[in-house]
Amino acid sequence: MSILAQNKLPLGSQRHFHKYHVPSIHTRVHCSATTTTKPKTEPNRLVVEPQVVLPTPSLSTNSARPVLNDPSLLSTWSHRAWVASGCTTVLISLAKSLAGAANSHIWLEPVLAGLVGYILADLGSGVYHWGIDNYGDASTPSFGTQIEAFQGHHKWPWTITRRQFANNLHALARAVTFTVLPIDLLCNDPIIHGFVAVCSGCIMFSQQFHAWAHGTKSRLPPLVVALQDLSILVSRSQHAAHHRPPYNNNYCIVSGVWNEFLDKQMVFEALEMILFFKLGVRPRSWSEPNSDWTEEAETPSQLTVS
Amino acid sequence: MASLSLPKHSLPSVLPSQTRKDPFPQNLKIFSKSSPSQFYGTRLTYSSSSSIPCSSSTKNLILAKVKKGTAPPPFTLKDQDGKNVSLSKFKGKPVVVYFYPADETPGCTKQACAFRDSYEKFKKAGAEVIGISGDDVSSHKAFAKKYRLPYTLLADESNKVRKEWGVPGDLFGTLPGRETYVLDKNGVVQLIYNNQFQPEKHIDETLKILKGI
Repeated sequence: MSILAQNKLPLGSQRHFHKYHVPSIHTRVHCSATTTTKPKTEPNRLVVEPQVVLPTPSLSTNSARPVLNDPSLLSTWSHRAWVASGCTTVLISLAKSLAGAANSHIWLEPVLAGLVGYILADLGSGVYHWGIDNYGDASTPSFGTQIEAFQGHHKWPWTITRRQFANNLHALARAVTFTVLPIDLLCNDPIIHGFVAVCSGCIMFSQQFHAWAHGTKSRLPPLVVALQDLSILVSRSQHAAHHRPPYNNNYCIVSGVWNEFLDKQMVFEALEMILFFKLGVRPRSWSEPNSDWTEEAETPSQLTVS
Repeated sequence: MASLSLPKHSLPSVLPSQTRKDPFPQNLKIFSKSSPSQFYGTRLTYSSSSSIPCSSSTKNLILAKVKKGTAPPPFTLKDQDGKNVSLSKFKGKPVVVYFYPADETPGCTKQACAFRDSYEKFKKAGAEVIGISGDDVSSHKAFAKKYRLPYTLLADESNKVRKEWGVPGDLFGTLPGRETYVLDKNGVVQLIYNNQFQPEKHIDETLKILKGI
């Protein structure tokens, strides 16, 4: 294989350049999956060329590169209110479960229900994450903002470690509030509440677990590191694998317990194929790695302080 | 001894008259314990008389199903350059006919590139390689050009040949199956290999059998 340095724009990419972006040269070697066509090359010789990928912005102008002290990373009172309401609904559910369990003198079933909730929360996080990462865009109804945020996260993964707590969790907290509040009001079964409290709590805090997975060992609380090492929370290494090409694995972000199974059994690949044949939609992870996924390296010179 | 673990729902998706005996779940329990790869791989060589009754009986229900030891129905399809290509043209040399779901999907790309990378070995064995999917000529042309595939891709646009040969679908018939047939110099099938999610294995299996043909 010969590697020829060449500047090349990805085919079919959008050609507008965001003013904050510094073009970065990414060298990627693709073996067997992709080759660039060069008529001069002998037909049987595989030539792999690095591609220079100039960043293409996502569809919304909100996706500027985050800067240090970027206001978009700070928590607002609205964020805090949603997190408070989400936590309240989860705590009510938990309280109902404990009270109901005490009254009925049952412990095993609510605890088991909680365990099931914890396990299913991980699966749910993976499926949701896979969907958002691969389908739709900023203009998709209801999910557009999230999709854009996930794409931004792939470009600038370190940003999540700089987001304030409520800023990071408020979207999930809002969803949890709307889902759990009716259950709190309408249901009194301690077993159901055991499941709901743990499942919704894990989902709401999955963004925090996700942020911790992007942290460095030296900066994380020892308890968090211990939980990650025990695979109770998703580990840093497992999640790092998701941020490497081809960006199509390790989607679960609560405990990561489902990741190995889902990846080994190629569940998401199968789902992607089914959606392709039934609906004609191609997931983003099938396309050649482009700037939508490609992480931009964080260097002091590239970060601007506003 | 045939190693046989069957894809879960590897039934042809098209013929409505088939009755479905579904022994697969039982087989699946037996074989899925060993390794995930066996779950997705079927290698039917029928070298002993103890062929697995359930698989063959189900497949035998399909009319015109291609089996090992039989000659498959002839076809004429257009290749990536729009030229008509007939299977009969290749008589006198071994042919590897591989059916794949679609151009530009990850598994099919891996498979195509794997055939390309081993093409010299196929040529050395005197064999031709033909890839068939339901995509049209222009899709094949772009696919072959992008990945510099040196062999023939045929456009089976209404999946007519796929149905005639009885290529089983996967996942309740939602996915076109990935199945490879190796024909000897006389045009008789010597290997049928099915594996949806481990496409590179098709190359290993076909090269193995070509050594013996």
